[in-house]
Amino acid sequence: MTAVATTARRSIPGAPSMWFFVIGDLIIFGCYFVAYMYYRGQDHTLFLHSQARLNLDIGAINTIVLITSSLFVALGTAAARAGTVTDAVRLFGIGLGFGAAFPLLKLFEYVPEIVGGVTPGTNLFFMFYFVMTGMHLCHVLLGLVVISFVIRNLRTAPTPNISLAETGATYWHMVDLLWLVLFALLYLMR
Amino acid sequence: MKSKKRDQWIAFWMVPAFFNVFGLVFVPLSWMMPPRSPNAPEPQMISFMQSHNLLIACALLTLVYGFAPVGNSIYLIQIKRMSVSPVFRYTLMVGSITGAIVGMLFPMFCFGLGAFRSGYRPSILLMLYDFGYLAFIGSLGCFCIMWMAFALAIILDQNNVLPKWLGYYTLWQYVTELMAAPVWISKSGPFAWNGLMTFWFAMALYVPWQIIVYVCIYRSIKNQPDDELESAWLHQTSPATDVRPKATA
Amino acid sequence: MVLFVVAYLLFPIFWPPLSPTLSPEEVAAFFRDNTTGILGVVILCNLIAGSLVPLFAVTAVQISRVTTSSSVFTYAYILCVGIGMTAFILADYCWGVAAFRPDRDPQLISLLNDMAWFFFIAPVGTVIVQCLCFALSVYLDEHSEPIFPRWVAHFNIVVAALLVPSAFTVLFKTGPLAWDGAVSFTLRLIVFAVYVVVTFLVLLRTVNRQGADRVALV
Repeated sequence: MTAVATTARRSIPGAPSMWFFVIGDLIIFGCYFVAYMYYRGQDHTLFLHSQARLNLDIGAINTIVLITSSLFVALGTAAARAGTVTDAVRLFGIGLGFGAAFPLLKLFEYVPEIVGGVTPGTNLFFMFYFVMTGMHLCHVLLGLVVISFVIRNLRTAPTPNISLAETGATYWHMVDLLWLVLFALLYLMR
Repeated sequence: MKSKKRDQWIAFWMVPAFFNVFGLVFVPLSWMMPPRSPNAPEPQMISFMQSHNLLIACALLTLVYGFAPVGNSIYLIQIKRMSVSPVFRYTLMVGSITGAIVGMLFPMFCFGLGAFRSGYRPSILLMLYDFGYLAFIGSLGCFCIMWMAFALAIILDQNNVLPKWLGYYTLWQYVTELMAAPVWISKSGPFAWNGLMTFWFAMALYVPWQIIVYVCIYRSIKNQPDDELESAWLHQTSPATDVRPKATA
Repeated sequence: MVLFVVAYLLFPIFWPPLSPTLSPEEVAAFFRDNTTGILGVVILCNLIAGSLVPLFAVTAVQISRVTTSSSVFTYAYILCVGIGMTAFILADYCWGVAAFRPDRDPQLISLLNDMAWFFFIAPVGTVIVQCLCFALSVYLDEHSEPIFPRWVAHFNIVVAALLVPSAFTVLFKTGPLAWDGAVSFTLRLIVFAVYVVVTFLVLLRTVNRQGADRVALV
């Protein structure tokens, strides 16, 4: 990711190409959400019944986990901007820790479901569920990698790359935002 | 003044020509695309599989599919200019070799085979029909790594050969390959091989990407400074002896 | 190359090549009666397909030494070789599977046989493009002492042109373009054999001339 020059009047934080990606990703997921709503409207009862078999608790915990993680990432970014690099590293680290809990919890969610016979092929709702949450999970894993790179850069580089931190944070917040919508749509909406 | 980059340009322009034939073959000629439903009623499926146009499509494709490698080579030479490790080039190379057979040639043959000889049982025709579409739309792995390698190469490249946002767009290409996984499961609905989520959204992303990639590469070839060409050593004014550049891969 | 010769000698099993007009029962009968011979050819062909790769690899290296502005034709050449080789081996597999259990349903054996022929024809496409890339590289070589003599390029173009009709094989069941016909089968194989031999000799000379020159980029 390109390092944007830290002039006093920077218009947007982080690399512009990341914002292209974020907005585009949101639009793409948006299309998926609309498709989901459409198909849900077609077969409301099926979706309702299937939804009842989801593990709402883990879903809720995951939501809190991601929001907390995002909070720490935001704090870390602010610290990086302020120049207090050790603080930044610590804050990003905590954010990473919370973030890493997400896939772990997901495992506890998926495995019992699949072992219990609920697979993507079970019905349309579960296909949507597995595909969308699976896609999101990939985003989370990618985000964890990105944040790790940010931490490494903050710790080892002679002058920390603020733009990298901002870019990574932008991506991570997008991942969080996506999950909020996913959670509401798949788990909560009646 | 002859262009110094004639080889790149010749290869470059071969590609739109190829894609046009490719598009013709798959759409108006054979009506293989847009994909038919996995749930099509049997008589419909049988008459489709036995249409003579499929054979013509096969023959044409046999003739021109050799140009797909040329298209992929265009990507490769741009990646070569980037600052990233050769790993990305090789990944793309291997992926494209596998993908050309598994995702393009073989599916077309499946459709041609049904039309080649009359008298096949419907169950055999159905198998070919399934095999063809599943292979064409469900061929995931090879294209996954190709676009992943390409995307990462662009994003990590410090020479800025291709714009970064293109790298991210290519990431979406990779994602559409992932999204194609459900076609192996669903026989109807949005996740089947002709479904909204797996096919149409993917097409909506893919077609612009293919065009945009070539526009970007066009600009990249055009803007490549002469002294970066691999034939640059020949035109150097310094009195170098006839020493060709060392081997790198 | 020696393996190739041996395989050609064994090829009479497939000579004349099965007519596309045979009914599934006749095809099945053929596979039943000639199982050993067919399997022998199949195994050999699986081996020789690989043995052509080093030849093409050396060609690719020499093409990469040509002074053009990029390696685009080298890459295209390599990709074509990979694809063509895979298709050829898949053809073998199909014949092998057909011969493996000759008492299979005749329609399935006939299908496998057809599939094998489709795949056998397929490398025509990649070889044509290989030749074109080779020829273009030679034509565009900017160096005062080109790696390859000019006639190699002309030769490649001629080979490519001669192979073009074979691509249309699947459209015909009889006649010279059918897969057992004079153009698609005999001509194609002769052209390909000549191509391999000529390329081999050309490469021999080119590599020997390379001498102290360092090898160029790929």
